[in-house]
Amino acid sequence: MQRKSFLQLAGLSLLPLSGFSNSSVSRRPHRITIPPYLQKGDTIGIVCPSGFSTMEDIQSSITQIESWGYKIHIGNTVGKRDNTFGGTDEERRSDFQSMLDDTSIKAILCATGGYGAVRIIDLLDFKSFKKNPKWVVGFSDITVLHSHIHQVYRTATLHSKMSGSFPKDWSIADPIQIETINSIKKALEGEKIQYPIVPNLNNKIGEAEGVLVGGNLKILENMSGSISSIDTAGKILFVEDVGEPLYNIDRMFCNLNRSGKLNQLKGLIVGSFTNIKPDNLDAPFGRDIYQIVKERTAGFDYPICFDFPVGHQKNNFALKCGIKHRLDVKIDAVSLNEIS
Amino acid sequence: MIKIPPYLKKGDTIGITCPAGYMEAKKVQTCIHTLQSWGYEVMVGKTIGSKSTTYFSGTDEERLDEFQAMLDNKSINAILCGRGGYGVSRIIDSLDFKQFKKQPKWIIGFSDITVLHGHLHQQIKVASLHAPMANAFNGGGANKVYVQSLKNALKGIKSNYKTESYSFNRTGKCIGELIGGNLALIAHLCGSKSTYITKDKILFIEDIGEYIYNIDRMMIQLKRAGILDNLSGLIIGKFSDTKNTERPFGQSFEEIILQHISAYDYPVCFNFPVSHEEENVALKIGLMHTLSVTNKMVSLKEQ
Repeated sequence: MQRKSFLQLAGLSLLPLSGFSNSSVSRRPHRITIPPYLQKGDTIGIVCPSGFSTMEDIQSSITQIESWGYKIHIGNTVGKRDNTFGGTDEERRSDFQSMLDDTSIKAILCATGGYGAVRIIDLLDFKSFKKNPKWVVGFSDITVLHSHIHQVYRTATLHSKMSGSFPKDWSIADPIQIETINSIKKALEGEKIQYPIVPNLNNKIGEAEGVLVGGNLKILENMSGSISSIDTAGKILFVEDVGEPLYNIDRMFCNLNRSGKLNQLKGLIVGSFTNIKPDNLDAPFGRDIYQIVKERTAGFDYPICFDFPVGHQKNNFALKCGIKHRLDVKIDAVSLNEIS
Repeated sequence: MIKIPPYLKKGDTIGITCPAGYMEAKKVQTCIHTLQSWGYEVMVGKTIGSKSTTYFSGTDEERLDEFQAMLDNKSINAILCGRGGYGVSRIIDSLDFKQFKKQPKWIIGFSDITVLHGHLHQQIKVASLHAPMANAFNGGGANKVYVQSLKNALKGIKSNYKTESYSFNRTGKCIGELIGGNLALIAHLCGSKSTYITKDKILFIEDIGEYIYNIDRMMIQLKRAGILDNLSGLIIGKFSDTKNTERPFGQSFEEIILQHISAYDYPVCFNFPVSHEEENVALKIGLMHTLSVTNKMVSLKEQ
């Protein structure tokens, strides 16, 4: 309380100055291009810009997407393999490039993440994509594409599950898995995102409106310092990760903070941090993900919601990066709704 | 211009503190005795062998306060970090370098201490010492050339390191300010005000326990952040205990590094004695050096 009243006091006395600085840092209105939503009969390309995927791995996604009424175009990289990669850098670049350039392809679904998008991102030519934008779909390593396309090409993308996560047998699949996969269809068809979220006691109450951006925390750190690094001011940021030790999650949040990605947010959405690497028993890190986030955001007053269904798990709902959303974090209810 | 802190004289005091991970007091004993045998007084901070039960040597505030006190204490002539680990990033922006700028002193360490090196070089513009820390004195290390190189550096003896040639080296000769540290931390600093501006400088990197694919990703980050394109020269230390994925990456770390700098023509040397292993010579960050890489040998000479 003392702190708050102090801040209010400081705010009052600095009013003219803060008004000035606000206007001097105001940015151009955020004009994001939204690719056309899909219509029955449209073609979705499947491609491997990162890790490798076999035909068998993507078969269930083909069957499902065709049942939704879309055609599938299978990229050359599906079934290709160069060690961990879905083909050589040149094969992956050329396949992704042809998907970007082929005007009959309305969305590009990445088959899998892994590692490799950053090796080809600077070699891709987005000239044709800018004229004929289309949805680029995926998560994890595909965060490289989300960041780059948002920051450099100001075009919306879809953060969601990929081919490898479609259930093999739809009839016995986990309901949450079906809902997750269906959220891709809904998003691509232009249905507005409306996600009610289970409240978490660690949440920070508040409401926010802003363009949604985000993805894999490790990749967001990896983009820092490059042209693909997202300017997060005035936006709602979501993050998730898998297989990292707690100390490194903390370090990555330090990077977000020190690279100016946390101080001007409208809201923060923390997804799941799965398979956290165990601490050394002699020297536990001593903080969980909630405490890490609270510590790193202690100076900021925007709403924060935890355990949002985004991450390397079955409930990983489609999120439209680059599109304005409203985040409502109340004690008994949380929701993320697309607005326009 | 980079300010060079005064070199140490007999009777000067070295403060030892742990700004990052926890360290047992007994692991610092040999270091203390050795520094004393070199003719220095030693002031051991409370973060050494502290009561902390967590990963850190103390709370952020405890680590910060102690480091700050050592920065401000005029009777301390150098600060040796007990060990790295993780934790400097959590306190770096709370440190006040006002007094330190007036009376700079050598800050010594490596690994997580790279955060301090980057920040000191870029923001405070004071030279610092990338060198062995307390644990390196144990097990007979105190008498070996690597810890001895720290002794020489503190006295102000100019370094002139020579290593054998290595098949991946790229020959050439260059001059520049020496900068560098742990690759993961140099990547981690990208986008922050502590990130090295590397133009016309000689960069050295080393790392431990990284996946090969992650070394690739970090090298790409450096490249995309503009850290690799205008270097004067590049020094690769050891990459200890590298890990591979179940599906192998298909390239060695040497091949990865050479691939990402193939567009540039500066000299490069590998297998330089800077690492998390015993082979870790003292390197003065911010000082002008000459790197010479020939088919026969490599030398790094302080100007």
